[in-house]
Amino acid sequence: MDLNYSDEQLLLKESADRFLKERYDFDKRAKIVASDDGFDAGIWAEMANLGWLALPFSEENGGLGGGAVEISLIMEAIGRALVVEPYLASVILAGSLIEKLGTESQKAEILGGLIAGTSRPALAHAEKQTGFDLGNISATAVRTGDGYTLSGGKPLVLGGAAADIFLVSAKLDGNIRLFVVPADAVGLARKPAKLVDGSRACDLSLYNVPMPASALLDGDNTLVEVEAAYDRSNAALASEAVGIMDALLDATVSYTKERVQFGKPLAAFQALQHRMAEIAVKCQEARGSALLATLSVDALRSMRIRGVSGARAKIGKVSRVVAQEAIQLHGAMGFSEEMPIGAWFRRLYAIENTFGTTADHLKRYGEIIHDPAVLSGSLLREPA
Amino acid sequence: MDLLMTEEEVRFRDAVRTFLGIHLDDDLKRAERLNPSFLADPDIGLKWQAKLNEQGWVAPSWPKQYGGTGWTLAERYIFDQECERAGEPHFRGASIKMIAPVLMRYGTDEQKAFYLPRILNGEDLWAQGYSEPGSGSDLASLKTKAVLEGDYYVINGSKIWSTLAHHATRMFALVRTADTGKKQEGITFILIDLKSPGVTIRPIRSICGTHEFNQVFFDDVKVSVSDRIGEEGEGWDIAKYLLEFERGGAFAGGVLRAMLTRLHRLASEPLPDGRKMIDDPLFAARLAEIATDIDANDMLELAAMSKVQAGGNPGSVPSSTMKIERSRIRQSIAELAASILGPDALRWEERRPLHELPEESEIAEERKVASAIYFNSRSQSIFGGSNEIQLEIIAKTLLR
Ligand SMILES: Cc1cc2nc3c(=O)[nH]c(=O)nc-3n(C[C@H](O)[C@H](O)[C@H](O)COP(=O)(O)OP(=O)(O)OC[C@H]3O[C@@H](n4cnc5c(N)ncnc54)[C@H](O)[C@@H]3O)c2cc1C
Ligand SMILES: Cc1cc2nc3c(=O)[nH]c(=O)nc-3n(C[C@H](O)[C@H](O)[C@H](O)COP(=O)(O)OP(=O)(O)OC[C@H]3O[C@@H](n4cnc5c(N)ncnc54)[C@H](O)[C@@H]3O)c2cc1C
Repeated sequence: MDLNYSDEQLLLKESADRFLKERYDFDKRAKIVASDDGFDAGIWAEMANLGWLALPFSEENGGLGGGAVEISLIMEAIGRALVVEPYLASVILAGSLIEKLGTESQKAEILGGLIAGTSRPALAHAEKQTGFDLGNISATAVRTGDGYTLSGGKPLVLGGAAADIFLVSAKLDGNIRLFVVPADAVGLARKPAKLVDGSRACDLSLYNVPMPASALLDGDNTLVEVEAAYDRSNAALASEAVGIMDALLDATVSYTKERVQFGKPLAAFQALQHRMAEIAVKCQEARGSALLATLSVDALRSMRIRGVSGARAKIGKVSRVVAQEAIQLHGAMGFSEEMPIGAWFRRLYAIENTFGTTADHLKRYGEIIHDPAVLSGSLLREPA
Repeated sequence: MDLLMTEEEVRFRDAVRTFLGIHLDDDLKRAERLNPSFLADPDIGLKWQAKLNEQGWVAPSWPKQYGGTGWTLAERYIFDQECERAGEPHFRGASIKMIAPVLMRYGTDEQKAFYLPRILNGEDLWAQGYSEPGSGSDLASLKTKAVLEGDYYVINGSKIWSTLAHHATRMFALVRTADTGKKQEGITFILIDLKSPGVTIRPIRSICGTHEFNQVFFDDVKVSVSDRIGEEGEGWDIAKYLLEFERGGAFAGGVLRAMLTRLHRLASEPLPDGRKMIDDPLFAARLAEIATDIDANDMLELAAMSKVQAGGNPGSVPSSTMKIERSRIRQSIAELAASILGPDALRWEERRPLHELPEESEIAEERKVASAIYFNSRSQSIFGGSNEIQLEIIAKTLLR
């Protein structure tokens, strides 16, 4: 067991924080959110230069071989800066599925473009009725002479507004499989959707989209890999939430030190000091949970669920309170759109409703701990 | 003691219900359903107010001599519950609930005769000018200056968070007329015509995406001495009198019950995967818990108002309790509603007002506005004296 960040990891964290502080302040973000496509190509290119887009991929695929811990550090920084570009959707969710399931040529082409910053894939899996049951999809793939035709509807594809490639799941002979579908494919329609956190997704519909045989990703275990990819993404979301919570705490402490009422800084009132101390307690707890999630993404499924869904459930609950408290302690200022408080609040709200709600994750966690071995087992695992 | 309605009150309730059934049309109800804010969009609110005005029901809490209803407490409670149950637009804001009681108590005959009818018929919409950038909870530290020059005060400074000031015709404001002595003693209550030269209004958007409040700047704005309420330096006492109304002077329980009923309906609708939230025991327990909060708060309201009716004062502990509890109940309903949207919670409609969008099914529209209502509900514990300030008031009373 080792729970200390390495020097390289600390450097990565520092450089991520510095980069976003310098290049992605709240005003700059507000401009991006208000722009036509809600995406800044320059920032994305800089992320490519910094190696963020290559981070999770293996060296043989042109990546940097970073693990979940490195990703968690980037995600914390992304949370604090409220980055709306689709890092999670394109790199962590779609990118990692391509790495797991792509053919050699798919990996070379798509990951190559993703790492270089020229391509942004997005996963189009969940459907209206899917809820938290990832196997419940009804899009279909039908074999044709030289390939497949795809049909189905995929609402709220995260990262879908800026995507050039979709990984579309569909049932082929009753089994869930993934297909690489370019955004300009015939029969594909994309409708951009604005999200509550200022980012953009899209509603996708496919009607008899003809795809060549080479569009199919490998693997009979697609659903298993899709679930694992969502869990990696959920761990990343947990870290993003932790970054936001710390930012809310920092902002609240510094605001109450400056804001004077009744002849004193607000921070001089003990009633408020304790409220901030409670926020700090919740930030600490959330950090513990997120770290467990981060270190569980490659574990056995039951341990993975304990770490990841446990963190999403726990952090969903405490982060909501922290955001509400931060608004309260800012008074009307926290209720206005002019400060980032509300934007952090809204991003946390979005996180609570992304890849399963807080209640969904609590249920999933509750089911897994019915197994006494999981419930009574310590956090330390045997080596594989 | 009992909670029985008289035969007459039953007839009254039925008459109110019938009136609402006929006159409160679907368009108005829909607009209010799609309004995430505390107060109705003034265009909608004024339409409803005009209809009520024909019936003489604009101001249930005003005495008859000023154009109010002169109703008993029970009638007012019944009216509030019925109107909320029917989903009426919430137009009774700073005009009817705040400045009107002040005018009645402290205004001159001329001021009453001029302003009160204009409030009833909707000619005037008032904004509240208390808070300033440097003075929120510590209201008495306010700095906006009024200097007497002949028959006029000349006003300089700025007010902030002024709800609906961009629609309002007038603002009642606390201004500083003296810097000597206790800070409370130099405050004066005046009425400002917002069309006066030197008034500038800057919109501020809130975290639910709506432009509902503003910063208002005064640059040498002239106000006639005849638009002062009470004497110079009497502003603080008047302000405190008004805050009593803002915090607990009128029934607020009906809206809570109506919100919970809406949530129940939303939760009874099947989700895309066939489940209903209402069948989830955790959800059902939370809903029931909130319902008990509402019942308790309603009783507290009724008891407090009974005391007022009997010529007494409910006291600061019940008043502040009601302010705190109302905000918490509203927030917990809104939060619970937002927690059952699933992925749809991510979608965000920026357009305001929402009721100008093409009509969808009632449930689809409930889902569309639920996030914004939740975000908006966070203001409930801040405005009108934050919950921390209410707790301070309670603590001071206990430890006196
Ligand atoms: C079971 C038990 C075992 C203990 N064992 C030990 C021990 O081994 N060694 C040891 O040194 N002490 C021990 N203590 C004592 C303990 O540290 C004190 O009870 C504690 O510090 C509080 O002090 P007090 O009891 O004098 O209460 P007070 O200080 O009089 O406090 C009374 C109440 O006021 C609150 N309060 C006090 N000051 C503030 C403030 N500034 N702001 C807000 N709230 C405040 C307290 O939280 C408490 O609720 C023990 C106490 C208990 C109950
Ligand atoms: C939606 C909305 C509409 C509003 N409409 C109007 C309007 O129409 N007209 C108008 O005049 N004003 C309006 N307000 C302003 C409102 O009255 C103030 O926001 C409120 O009085 C709090 O002041 P503040 O925002 O400056 O917060 P601050 O006073 O700066 O307080 C910040 C935080 O510190 C806490 N705090 C302050 N002092 C203490 C203390 N001594 N002990 C413990 N905690 C403390 C507060 O409770 C709050 O949590 C509105 C506000 C909102 C949110």
